[in-house]
Amino acid sequence: MSFDLLSTVETGGCSAKIPPRQLEELLKDLPLPVDPAILVDISTQDDAGVYKINEETALVITTDFFPPLVSDGYEFGLIAATNSISDVYAMGGTPLVALNIMMFPSARIPMEVYREILRGGNDKAREAGVSIIGGHTIDDYPPKYGLAVIGTVHPEKIITNAGVREGDELILTKPLGTGIILAGHRMAMSTPEQLDSAIRTMKQLNAGGAALMQKYGVRGATDITGFGLAGHALKMARASGVTIRIEMNRVPLLDGVYSLADLGCIPGAAFRNLDYTEGGSCFADGLDYSLRMIAHDAQTSGGLLMAVSPDRSPELLKELHHSGHPEATVIGRAVARETAALILE
Amino acid sequence: MKTVDTRGLTCPAPLIKTRQALKEAASDEDVQVLIDNPTSLSNVKRYLADNRLEFTVTGEGSLSVVTVRRGEKGELSSDETEYCTTGKEPAPNRKRTTVVAVTSDKMGNGDDELGTKLMISFFRTLVMLEPAPSAVVFYNAGVKLATDDSPVLEHIRELLEKGVSVYLCTTCINHFGIRDRLPVGSFSDMYQILNVLKDADHIIRP
Repeated sequence: MSFDLLSTVETGGCSAKIPPRQLEELLKDLPLPVDPAILVDISTQDDAGVYKINEETALVITTDFFPPLVSDGYEFGLIAATNSISDVYAMGGTPLVALNIMMFPSARIPMEVYREILRGGNDKAREAGVSIIGGHTIDDYPPKYGLAVIGTVHPEKIITNAGVREGDELILTKPLGTGIILAGHRMAMSTPEQLDSAIRTMKQLNAGGAALMQKYGVRGATDITGFGLAGHALKMARASGVTIRIEMNRVPLLDGVYSLADLGCIPGAAFRNLDYTEGGSCFADGLDYSLRMIAHDAQTSGGLLMAVSPDRSPELLKELHHSGHPEATVIGRAVARETAALILE
Repeated sequence: MKTVDTRGLTCPAPLIKTRQALKEAASDEDVQVLIDNPTSLSNVKRYLADNRLEFTVTGEGSLSVVTVRRGEKGELSSDETEYCTTGKEPAPNRKRTTVVAVTSDKMGNGDDELGTKLMISFFRTLVMLEPAPSAVVFYNAGVKLATDDSPVLEHIRELLEKGVSVYLCTTCINHFGIRDRLPVGSFSDMYQILNVLKDADHIIRP
C-alpha cells in the first residue's frame, strides 16, 4: 500500500491530546455523577471508569483514539487498539468487548486504508481475546482511530492510581521514548531500526503485565501514555497521597532516544507535560536535561508503571523478564509525602 | 553572530536547529533564531531558560527573534526554584568522578579461568572502594557480567544501592541475545555511554 498516513498529520498518537492542565480546568466544573456503584471515576484521574455490577463483578469502561502516528494503516490499527485496550489492563481488568471509533475522510484517502486500519484493530483485539461488536464512523480529516473497550474486574481487585503505598517499589515494563523516536522519524533523524523497536513496543499488549499484577497483589498502577512518565507518576502520587521518587538513570530507554533528545528533538507534547508537572514536581540538582525531558515525553501505548512491595518486587520483575518484558526495571519508589509529590533524580 | 532561520518549520525542528547552532557557534558567540510559530517560540524559550542560557526576545508581527547572549556572561546562575533537596548528598564542589569501563567478562589476558576469577575479585573489591565510582559502564562481552546468573550480580546490586549508575550497551546486549536476562542496569546507546566516559576524570578499565 502506498498511501502514507503520516502525510495527514503534524502530531500523532497521544501527542494529540489536549494539554493536561487545560483539561483539568475544563473538567473541574462538571458535576461528578453520584451512584454507589461507581467505584472509580475521573476524580482520581484514572485510566478507566469502574462500575460495580455485583459482589463478584465490576465493569471497566474506557475509550481512546488518535490520529495516525505511523505510515501504514494496518500498523496504525494495531497500535491504536493496543493503546485503547491497555487502559483496562492498567486497572487490573480483563478486556471483553469493544467498539471501533473511526474518523475517516472517504473522499481524500483510498478506502483500502480504512480497511487496513480496521483489520489491524481487529487482529490486535483478537490477540487480547476481545470481540469487536460494533462501531461508528464519521467522515473527517485527518483520520482518527481507536476503541471503546469494556472489561471486567473483581471489585476488590481493582488497580488504581490511588493504590500506591509508602515503601512500594515502582516497576516500569516498557522502555520510554516513543514520542521522541516518532518525532525523530519525521525529522529523518532516527534510524529504521530505532523506529521498528518503537513500533514493536507500541503494539505489545500489556496483558502479561496485568496478569502478573493480580498474581502479586499490586493495587497501584497506571499505563504510561500521553502525559509522559512524569505526568502519570505525578497523578499516581497525588491520588495515593505519597511522594514518588524516580531515578532517571535507571529508566529503560528505547535505543536512540537519549541522543535524539540531546540534539533537541523534543516534541511539543513534552513541553506541555512539563508545564503540567510544574508545581507538583522537582528535579534533583544535576539531573541531566535530556533525561528530564525524556521523563515528560508523551508515550503512545506505553508500559505499565506498577507499585509493588519491595519483598515481592524481585520475583515480579523476574516473571516480567520471562514474559515478554525483558526491559522491565525498578525505576523508583514511593515514600512518605514530601513537599513535592514527584521527585526526578 | 550566528543566525538560524526556522520560519515555516514546525516542532521540533526549530528547537533542533537552535540546539545545533548553539553547538556550532563559538562558545562566546551570540546566536539569533528567527521563529514564526508561537508553540516553537515558547518551547525554545523554555529550553534556553532550563539550560540557564541568557536570551532576549524581540518581535515584529508574527516573527520573533530570539537572541541568545553568550558574549560577556556565558551561563546564567542557576534558577533555584526548580531544584529541590533530594536527600542525597549534594556534590561538594564537584568531586572528581571515576567511571569503571568493563569491556570484557574477564580481567586481563592470558588465561580465561584466571581472568574470570580476577574479575569476580575485582567487583568484590570495587564495592569497598571509597569514594565509590559515579558509574560503571558495561560494553562488548562486559555486558555478560550483568546477567541474572552472573557471579558478580550481587556486587552490581550493591553498587546500585550506593547510588552508582550502571549503564549497559544495548547493541552488545542484542548481539549476545541476553536482553531478557538482565535484572539490573539501564540500557544505553553509544551516545550516552560516550558522554559518561567523556565526563569522567578517571576511567578504570579492569
